[in-house]
Amino acid sequence: MRALVVDDATTVRMFHRGILEEAGFVVEEAMNGIEGLERALAGEVPPDLLVVDVNMPRMDGYAFLRAVRVEPALCDVPAMLISTERARMDADRAFAAGANLFLVKPVRPEALARFALFMTGAARECAR
Amino acid sequence: MSTDLNPLLQQFILEARDLLEQAGRSLLALEREPGGAEPMNALFRAVHTLKGTSGLFDILPLTRVVHAAEDLLDAVQGGRLTLLAETADVLLDALDQVGVWIDGLAEAGVLPAAAEAASGKWVDRLRAPLANADSAGAPASVAAVAAGLPAWIAVLSPAEQRSCAAMSGEDAGPLLAISYAPDAHCFFRGEDPLALTRQIDGLRLLRVEPVTPWPELDVLDPFVCNLRLHAIVAAPAAELEHLFRYVRDQIEMHPLPDGWPSDKPAADVALPDDVAALLEVLSGQQRLLEASAPDAMWEGRLGSVARVLRGALHHAGHDALAPGLESAVAAATVSGEPAPLLAYIAAQRIAALAAPAARPAHGAVTPPAQREPATPAAAEMRVAAPTTLRVEQAKIDAMMNLIGELVVAKNALAYLARRAEDGSLGVRELAREIKDRQALVNRIAEEMQTAVMAVRMLPVEHVFQRFPRLVRDIARRLGKQVELEIEGGETEADKNVIAALADPLIHMVRNSLDHGIETPEARRGAGKPPHGTIRLQALQDNDNVIIRVSDDGSGIDPDIVRRKAVEKGLLDAERAAALPDEEAIMLVFAPGFSTASAVSDLSGRGVGMDVVRSGVEKSGGRVALTSRKGAGTTVELTLPLSMAVSRIMTVACGERLFGVPMGLVVETVRVPRSALHSLRDREAFVLRDSVVPVVRLARLLDLPDEEDAADEQAILVVRLNGERLGIVVSAFREGMEVIVKPMDGILAGLRGFAGTTLLGDGRVLLILDLRELAL
Repeated sequence: MRALVVDDATTVRMFHRGILEEAGFVVEEAMNGIEGLERALAGEVPPDLLVVDVNMPRMDGYAFLRAVRVEPALCDVPAMLISTERARMDADRAFAAGANLFLVKPVRPEALARFALFMTGAARECAR
Repeated sequence: MSTDLNPLLQQFILEARDLLEQAGRSLLALEREPGGAEPMNALFRAVHTLKGTSGLFDILPLTRVVHAAEDLLDAVQGGRLTLLAETADVLLDALDQVGVWIDGLAEAGVLPAAAEAASGKWVDRLRAPLANADSAGAPASVAAVAAGLPAWIAVLSPAEQRSCAAMSGEDAGPLLAISYAPDAHCFFRGEDPLALTRQIDGLRLLRVEPVTPWPELDVLDPFVCNLRLHAIVAAPAAELEHLFRYVRDQIEMHPLPDGWPSDKPAADVALPDDVAALLEVLSGQQRLLEASAPDAMWEGRLGSVARVLRGALHHAGHDALAPGLESAVAAATVSGEPAPLLAYIAAQRIAALAAPAARPAHGAVTPPAQREPATPAAAEMRVAAPTTLRVEQAKIDAMMNLIGELVVAKNALAYLARRAEDGSLGVRELAREIKDRQALVNRIAEEMQTAVMAVRMLPVEHVFQRFPRLVRDIARRLGKQVELEIEGGETEADKNVIAALADPLIHMVRNSLDHGIETPEARRGAGKPPHGTIRLQALQDNDNVIIRVSDDGSGIDPDIVRRKAVEKGLLDAERAAALPDEEAIMLVFAPGFSTASAVSDLSGRGVGMDVVRSGVEKSGGRVALTSRKGAGTTVELTLPLSMAVSRIMTVACGERLFGVPMGLVVETVRVPRSALHSLRDREAFVLRDSVVPVVRLARLLDLPDEEDAADEQAILVVRLNGERLGIVVSAFREGMEVIVKPMDGILAGLRGFAGTTLLGDGRVLLILDLRELAL
């Protein structure tokens, strides 16, 4: 299972990478939406999961997800959008943009891993 | 910086300093150019990112201050507040303070003790302008509640919840939820978790559950504590801290929000528990379907919801519910409306709430059948199973025709049987007739196989089409001029092969871009045209598809490769010098080798050609590399056309037969026993001037070593990870095309076997996984 982490904060990417790798994912990273699209489209097989930050330069998480949902090669890839606070407000925008799950930072490691596994159907051992 | 900080914290400190500097710069720019959108956005983003990131660490005072700063900026951005000079001053001061704390964090690994006390003061200062600006909004209070309730609370029955709450009204103490996960060996320390928990003054509810499902009685170990205790209590936290002071690390406490239990939907509870996670995921899909979005996104939204639901059901172990899901998805697809799926989700949410305990989570216990199958082909099958294939009408028609023929051939057999019964045929005639029919059925079966394979075939174009864009973008970033030529995109290969091809190919093309093609100046200097050329070629060669990536770049310098390999300790200088050039450049495939002196952003993080090679070999392919210094490099991948049918060679080991994938076999030789030499504890023989190590199949498989009387030894020479290896077998048998079935069920964990296949006489043939066995 491959996950693409799209976030402009290196620390957050490292953090998410650590959790997802622990859960058995192969993790790729991108710094913003544009790069995220580039990365996601670079392989014949799209990633199995997108883990996306909201606030990023160049192309933010909403715009990224909207682009993903209309790109034939990527449109059905499960995506979780992770925002900081103001959850209620952002959540509506997130789901309208096509997010399958909306989480609020900081996400607890075990929660992130669990959601990732649930969304991709990977069993912990299987993914490894 | 203190070096014993964890890497994540170190990274945070670096990034935080950057962000603070950026924020400071933007603030100054804003003062020069009030209302400038650019610096305002940069400022907001820097503070926002800092807050989000700091939340990962246990530095709450710092996070609170940054959070307050963000709220202030949010008000400015939203036009509710003007950024006056004094507000900017407060911001700058606050950010300076954060910088000081970050320095302290870098020194000591924890925030300075004073931070906790000072934090509130800073928050007040930052909120002061806000309080004046709008008294209506209180955006920050939400975050505190977002911590969420523990999962087990969500599954309490409403009656249980109410009973706790009703009592809480009497003494008005705040309710706490406690989870106590006693150590498995706690009994040996004289701890009694249940008695301890019962001592709580104000215990409202106690639930005890097994950590893992109870095993059968005869294997139950009564000395191991397999309990988890949950309690809802109305007692001061300090009292609990005291009571549980010896097992504090095994206790989790969550204050329950005022007014709990409320009628909040389960979705609002961010719970890291399987049932809660399932509920959250279900509710996410519901909200996604309910949200209004442009029509163009419909297919993607529906598709992603379907995928997530499949994943969630599978992960939660509810595969039995999948058919219902598929028909709901189909109904939604046909109607173009989310209603059928929404109904399905609603039903699942009720089901998940109703029977939370009965549900095994994959994370805890995985039935053997769910484990990663032993072979890569099998793994592919697993991954590929739920995907759909688009098939040309013509291919389906061809299969229909074959089915027609098959029906006719089958009827002919019945007719033949009748004639045999009434005795109108002699034995010889009968045999001939049967052979005729057999030939016919055989032909149909072969054509069927081909037709079914054809359905799985995709043009390589599917992978190639991504590259023009990729090459253009990367070349531009590198300041190089590169032309990409693509040939043979129409070549077809099995879907799984195509999938396996993508990653190695990207890596190879990136290598060419990064290290192969020179800058325009360098190329002019070398007398080449300023733009380089990368060529992607695909062609079919018998049962293989060959993918070639070639460039006219600088080529690989064998001397540099030798030097690097020696530096990396892959081999010693003497051996390196003795290697011929064409063998020296093969060293780039060695694990741990990377020719780039600085790991470039593009070629990723230090993974090199060894990844390409192992990826390709996993799919049963080979990699070849040729390069001329100054003239360019060509990498050639040879992959089997299809992964479903494999050619194998059968070999005998004593009485038993085993299969070996033909792709690994280099040749078969027979040598006199005397030609085998013992080298330390291993054997080897000389094959055309080179030494090939030898192992005995019987020994690899732990079978009785049959008598070595035979004067002639049959040696199967295979190539594993680029090295030749001789395997002594009892005899060579025929090669054949078979469909390899992965090991199933309990056998799935068995190492050393790639799978099984049925022989013509009904026997089961085990296919060896030589990589696993011999390495």
